[in-house]
Amino acid sequence: MGSIVLVVRLVLADVRRHKVQAAMLLLAVTVATTTLALGLSLRGVSDALYEQTRAATAGPDVVALSGDTGPAVTSALASLADDPEVIAHHGPYRIVYADLTTRDSTSSPVVVHGFAETPGAVNRPLVTSGQWVRSGGTVLERGFATALGVGVGDRVTIADRSYPVVGIAVTAATSIYPWAAQIGPGGGPSDYSGLAWMTRSDARALASSQDLPVTMALDVELRDPAATDAFLDAHRGPALRVNFHAWQFTAEQDMVILKNSQPILVVGSWLLSFLAITGVAALAAGRAVEQTRRAGLLKTVGATPGLIATVLLTEYLALALAGDALGLVIARLTVPAIASPTASRIGDAAGLGGATVATATVLAVAVAVLSTLRPTLRAIRTATVTALTATAHQPRHRPWLTALSSLLPTPLLLGLRLTARQPGRAVLQACSTATTVIAIIALLTLYAQPERGYGLDGSSALPNLRGEHDRRLMLAVTILLIALAVVNTITLTWTTAIEARANMAIARTLGATPGQISAGLSTAQLLPGLAGAIIGVPLGIVMYWIFSVGNTIPPPMSRMLGAALATVLATAALTALPARLAARRSVAQSLSAETA
Amino acid sequence: MQDAVLAMLAKEPTHGYDLRARLRQILGPLGESMNPGQIYVTLARLERAGLVVCERADGLPERPERKVYALTPAGQQRVAAWLAEVGWPKPDLAEFHLKLAAAAAARLADPVQLVAAQRRELLRRLREAQQAALAEPAGSGAGLLLEGVALRLQADLRWLDACERAWSKADDEVEGG
Amino acid sequence: MNVSGAAVRACGLVKTHGQGQSRVRAVDEVDLEVPQGQMLAVMGPSGCGKSTLLHLLGGLERPTDGEVWVAGRRIDTLSERALARMRRRSVGFVFQAFHLVEELSAAENVELPALLAGRSRRQARRRASLLLERVGLADRARHLPSQLSGGQRQRVAVARALVNDPLVVLADEPTGNLDTAATLDVLRIFEELRSAGQTFVIVTHDERVAATADRLVSMRYGMFVDDTRLAGSHPRGLGGLIGLEG
Repeated sequence: MGSIVLVVRLVLADVRRHKVQAAMLLLAVTVATTTLALGLSLRGVSDALYEQTRAATAGPDVVALSGDTGPAVTSALASLADDPEVIAHHGPYRIVYADLTTRDSTSSPVVVHGFAETPGAVNRPLVTSGQWVRSGGTVLERGFATALGVGVGDRVTIADRSYPVVGIAVTAATSIYPWAAQIGPGGGPSDYSGLAWMTRSDARALASSQDLPVTMALDVELRDPAATDAFLDAHRGPALRVNFHAWQFTAEQDMVILKNSQPILVVGSWLLSFLAITGVAALAAGRAVEQTRRAGLLKTVGATPGLIATVLLTEYLALALAGDALGLVIARLTVPAIASPTASRIGDAAGLGGATVATATVLAVAVAVLSTLRPTLRAIRTATVTALTATAHQPRHRPWLTALSSLLPTPLLLGLRLTARQPGRAVLQACSTATTVIAIIALLTLYAQPERGYGLDGSSALPNLRGEHDRRLMLAVTILLIALAVVNTITLTWTTAIEARANMAIARTLGATPGQISAGLSTAQLLPGLAGAIIGVPLGIVMYWIFSVGNTIPPPMSRMLGAALATVLATAALTALPARLAARRSVAQSLSAETA
Repeated sequence: MQDAVLAMLAKEPTHGYDLRARLRQILGPLGESMNPGQIYVTLARLERAGLVVCERADGLPERPERKVYALTPAGQQRVAAWLAEVGWPKPDLAEFHLKLAAAAAARLADPVQLVAAQRRELLRRLREAQQAALAEPAGSGAGLLLEGVALRLQADLRWLDACERAWSKADDEVEGG
Repeated sequence: MNVSGAAVRACGLVKTHGQGQSRVRAVDEVDLEVPQGQMLAVMGPSGCGKSTLLHLLGGLERPTDGEVWVAGRRIDTLSERALARMRRRSVGFVFQAFHLVEELSAAENVELPALLAGRSRRQARRRASLLLERVGLADRARHLPSQLSGGQRQRVAVARALVNDPLVVLADEPTGNLDTAATLDVLRIFEELRSAGQTFVIVTHDERVAATADRLVSMRYGMFVDDTRLAGSHPRGLGGLIGLEG
């Protein structure tokens, strides 16, 4: 019990003394776990929203679509309802393929369902505003209406006829906007389409007025909603050309819009975690001396290595778990918006799944452990007396560094000799930069892909929601990555500056100018940054290529090189400030601090 | 000095000239100021005291005056006693201490000034010893002696610092009171 | 222009640390002139301001008031950059804690100021090996400071201070971390340089180090309280140092 009190007290004291570092660990873990939790829960949330919409709208278990019209078709569809498995049905009803134009001339393909004015037992669209169809008025599907920017009371033109929008509704019978047309005219391929409802007679009038293509559809409810396969097998045959859409298929279709979101978020969370580890490792390494010394102190008063390891790890674990919890809460709050980019579904996202929570927690713990394992082990292993007199680090002669620096102009040579104390840190900087560049290149590649708008004939008057969603997510992930990379670079430069402080003060007494000192510090950071940027460009392309389907169009070379160059320049700018601050410190002070 | 000369004769009877050369070698630059006749004066005293005997050497015709000195049994006893002795020269600080006290009491002089003057004198001596020590090759016997001299002077200088602090404070108290 | 021939000169030098109540005058109205070729020792108890004085003379700190002249040029008004350039040419520092760059070998440490002064790499290397030989460390050139003894480290630091032929060597407790033998090694090098005409300002609290100087000033509470010429004053026989009489 006593030792728990001790551990808690030591951890709290340490966190209080290193607020910035604690905040950074918390932030990095929060960002990474949020992203991962979002990525992992997309499917669950999408399914949950479909389920809730289905429940609220008496969604059919199977929709049968003929692709054709005529009495034979109608009776064939109607005969499906005679199947003993069918406990309720709706239809057959008309689906008319038309064009819809709003008052501000946005045009889109639309499928018009002809429904009764009083909905039946199956497929009762839920009116979310306004009222249900009446003669001469149309109801628009909510996702479609939102994309068009149309509300109740507006007028729309469908196949040259003007209709007032009397209501907005949602349904589980079709997929979300823009996949409302389950099949195209004649059973062929379909365009991106919205959904509108009219009365049966209005729909018939619409179809006949311009000789528009029509499909007949029947919604059925089965005794066992899970037995859709058996029903489909029983009725699929050469006799009748009918397409069956089971509810499972429709739910799956809802995920299409999220197909890229998931890899963006999951891969993004890996990259974020990686940056978190590099950043926290840099911080932990910067504090290694202090930690080692503290471990020595604890050992002299009788603490066991186990207790010391507990103290060191508890702090990072506690912060990582707090970040994890925070990340999960944020993910829970933002997931409905991210999992449902259209307005076609209703309901609340259920809580995050157990698997998601577990995976995010494992990630958080891994970040904490991976980034602190080395200093912790070192603190435990170092002999007590050595630990008490620990210096910044054991100096090691690096003749290769001297050889390398000989090729450079004098100020850079000096910078490298004075500041490049830890090649490990250079690797961290290179990784950090490479990660950033990977994300930026992936973002550029994403932006370079051509896409079809949802408007008439692929017009982008109605933007491609899926592409927009992808780009928005990718942008958010990239911004988070850049933010973490910025924090990392500043941390790395600052740690380097602090460690090289004595050397820089010595160099000042030998006649190095503040300018030479800060140039040297920046160089020590910039060279690995440059290497990272160069590696990052091809890695970014490969990364995008792995996770995309079909032909990937690479962004222009100039833009990729520009991005890499901009990253390097930004690194230079970021390192300049801490370097400048470090170089301004009084020489006499630095020297006496070193001796003390 | 007498004891040292006696001890040097303990190994074997030898000439006065040899003794002088050996002394100079051991003392290094510190022995340079030694009067050339001093060794003979000392030997003569020891002979009178019955501690050494002088034998005329068989000698060479051209150096008839050479004498060889040897220890008598009394001399040997004295050497043994000297080696066993643990006496040590007492630092004579009392005199200077009394000087300061008297000067202050009678207002004859400022003790702090006296300390400063004394300090300068000791520093000059230390400089001489130090420079002689630096001129000696490392590990020489004379270097070791000079080291001792320098350390004694250093100790005295530190005591003078303490004196200075004490007397400055005494001044302050007088002025303040 | 070096009118007086002084290597280093200070007039009315004042340096205060801290603010308000805790304000301390570390250096208080000090006037000082060190002619070329002189070895000056500054003695005093710790905290008397002697290290601050040294930092002021080398331009590592700026005075609160007064002037500092090095090589006939006023330096307290120079920019940081100009100060750095001045140090390269005119000043060599030797510190108690050696202050070698731990990751660089002895030779690389000695080369450092030469490279800063813009010498070619080959020149710097040649000069470094010459100086290491002079301080008796030719065979230790490739060693890291951590592989050298304290005395050896300090000798590397001395070689480094000399690499640009500075007008003055400023030494802050150069033997403070050394044992007697190593102290003598360093002092022997100083003595050799002094006889070759090198100017020194040595801050120390070791009387034996101070006694090697030509001149000794004592500091108390930031002020000079004594200024003694040690050199050339009525030399006496060394025998007077020990009682050889009878």
